[in-house]
Amino acid sequence: MSNPLHAKFYADQATQSSVEVVENLEMARDTYRVRFRCPEIAARALPGQFVMLRLANYDDPLIGRPLAVYDVLQSQAGEPESIDVLYLVKGKLTTRLVNFQPGQRLDVWGPLGNGFEPIATSHLVMVAGGIGQTPFVCLAKEYLGLQSFGTPAREPARSKRVTLCYGGRSAELLAGVEDFKQLGVDVRIATDDGSLGHHGLVTDVLSRVLAESEQECQVVCCGPEPMMEAVAKVTANADVPCRVSLETPMACGIGICFTCVAKVRDDSGEWDYKRTCVDGPVFDAELIEW
Amino acid sequence: MTDNNVAKSDLSVQLGRLTLANPILVASGTFGYAREMERLVDLSRLGGILPKTITKAPRAGNHPWRTIETSAGLLNSIGLDNDGIDAFIAHHLPYLASLSTSVIVSIAGRSQDEFVELASRLSEEDGIAGLELNISCPNVTGGVDYGTDPTLCEKLVANVRESCRLPVIAKLTPNVTCIADIACAAAAGGADAVSLINTVLGMAIDWKRQRPMLGNVVGGLSGPAIKPVALRCVHQVARAVDIPIIGIGGISNIDDAMEFLVAGASAVQIGTANYYDPTVSMTILDQLPDALKQLGATRTDDIVRSLQLPEPVEPATVAPTA
Ligand SMILES: Cc1cc2nc3c(=O)[nH]c(=O)nc-3n(C[C@H](O)[C@H](O)[C@H](O)COP(=O)(O)OP(=O)(O)OC[C@H]3O[C@@H](n4cnc5c(N)ncnc54)[C@H](O)[C@@H]3O)c2cc1C
Ligand SMILES: Cc1cc2nc3c(=O)[nH]c(=O)nc-3n(C[C@H](O)[C@H](O)[C@H](O)COP(=O)(O)O)c2cc1C
Ligand code: FES
Repeated sequence: MSNPLHAKFYADQATQSSVEVVENLEMARDTYRVRFRCPEIAARALPGQFVMLRLANYDDPLIGRPLAVYDVLQSQAGEPESIDVLYLVKGKLTTRLVNFQPGQRLDVWGPLGNGFEPIATSHLVMVAGGIGQTPFVCLAKEYLGLQSFGTPAREPARSKRVTLCYGGRSAELLAGVEDFKQLGVDVRIATDDGSLGHHGLVTDVLSRVLAESEQECQVVCCGPEPMMEAVAKVTANADVPCRVSLETPMACGIGICFTCVAKVRDDSGEWDYKRTCVDGPVFDAELIEW
Repeated sequence: MTDNNVAKSDLSVQLGRLTLANPILVASGTFGYAREMERLVDLSRLGGILPKTITKAPRAGNHPWRTIETSAGLLNSIGLDNDGIDAFIAHHLPYLASLSTSVIVSIAGRSQDEFVELASRLSEEDGIAGLELNISCPNVTGGVDYGTDPTLCEKLVANVRESCRLPVIAKLTPNVTCIADIACAAAAGGADAVSLINTVLGMAIDWKRQRPMLGNVVGGLSGPAIKPVALRCVHQVARAVDIPIIGIGGISNIDDAMEFLVAGASAVQIGTANYYDPTVSMTILDQLPDALKQLGATRTDDIVRSLQLPEPVEPATVAPTA
């Protein structure tokens, strides 16, 4: 039953729960990883999906924040059990979250959004800027055949090669590089200050990776909007398909407030505001009106 | 767990010609078109659902940023983003009408003719329990005069009533000097009930960039921050009119809901709390029978307008300031 006004990805798999913090560790300067037990969400989360997270019983901050599912951890019996979220300390919610100790409670609802559809490719190129690396750990695991996601587990797409082009202001702000390397991801770094890797923009690194790759490539991208727009230009020129995961501010994450709109083109080329929480956050880059 | 309680208490409420199964409704603009919430909330348990306000023509809505969080509140300037009445009837109403819950359709027109046209068209459709006239949205030009001018308000409500068979609720704005005057006008026009409040006009500024935070510069404040304002409005309106009142504004738990009922509301709508606690309506419904019992009541109606005011006292003399 298709309804032209219904979004494609309502929160039909989502549950809301009060969860306990298991650990909350510093991973890089101003970047922490919080782990909480929530088997229902862990069992259903797909790469690129997000959760809404709120500090239980706080009126300020009041509203939840969307955060990508960084990793899904399994119990000793191999059942999905907990979720990791990697966050940059930025404003109201994250500066308070830093002080949360194991045992303290968070309100979480998810999994939300479409996530990345599994599309097979010879070479998956992930491009991240700022805190945009967060949706890519699960994605790399799936493409490299290391873990399956969803209940029942979804049919994965595979890729022999997975590269991460990761740009940041400075080396000390890069978080999770070791996580990617351990999975077997080829990590290429760019920093604005030249403290690590290429001294310059992540798009320079991407262009080089695309030029060198002798395989059919596919690009996925997440980061600040100007960076995603620049990546979309590079991929369009190289004639490589590109999907972007938008970081539009959200207030509900489930489609009921119309905060999170982005200009998305339809088949006729006309743009309309779409809710990124229930129509995205992942879109074909060529459909976005930047 | 609650089945027993529900059997014992009569939660149903009568709002003019409109009968609802219970007093817990969800507010327009804070629950999408209900389909979004299908798996998170048992829609059939709600006393009523108000889908997002519809207008005659489609509206793209305002530019982002559309919401900004403020202390214990949310400031929004969505701008009535909706696909228009034709698309609503063709694509959203069939789903809404299939629910076993009362659906109250919220409409906004730029003129009296537009309100009347919207109302009479919806009056021909099945599956609608009532209409809420959004004469109070701060995010669009036009329309809002009906919520601030008693004469226009009375005329509008009367004309809408004449043009359709459905119960009519007028949704009022707190951004007026005397909200009781507007409520009286709505009652005189024949409204079955009034609902209040819509959002409180506000603003947020980024001083470092020296710019307003909202795309639309100003917007409407909602959430716990406005609850005292909303309670005051319900209290004032309850003393001025005897038509039923639906209380709205910052309701996020059972205590909030009970405060509104005691103040004079026959039912309540939950708004912003749906965003940050999606299952809040179910939690409040679960707890309602027990809360009524604490006041020795079994029916919602037993406690509506039960506020006990202190004996009138001499107004405090205002000391002249230097
Ligand atoms: C799908 C998705 C996934 C995300 N995943 C992650 C993730 O994995 N890790 C991560 O760290 N972050 C992620 N984010 C961003 C995250 O949601 C928050 O924005 C971030 O955590 C900041 O929250 P805060 O309360 O600390 O900051 P806030 O107090 O909210 O402020 C942060 C900054 O945003 C500005 N701001 C405030 N309100 C708005 C508004 N309405 N619109 C635009 N800007 C505003 C403020 O001025 C400030 O500069 C994701 C966002 C999306 C949409
Ligand atoms: C983002 C947002 C959008 C809203 N859209 C509408 C709307 O379309 N029509 C309407 O009558 N009220 C709208 N409202 C107002 C609410 O229905 C409600 O009156 C108000 O938010 C106060 O209640 P609350 O504090 O519980 O949210 C909106 C509120 C918010 C926060
Ligand atoms: S965040 Fe509320 S509709 Fe997308």
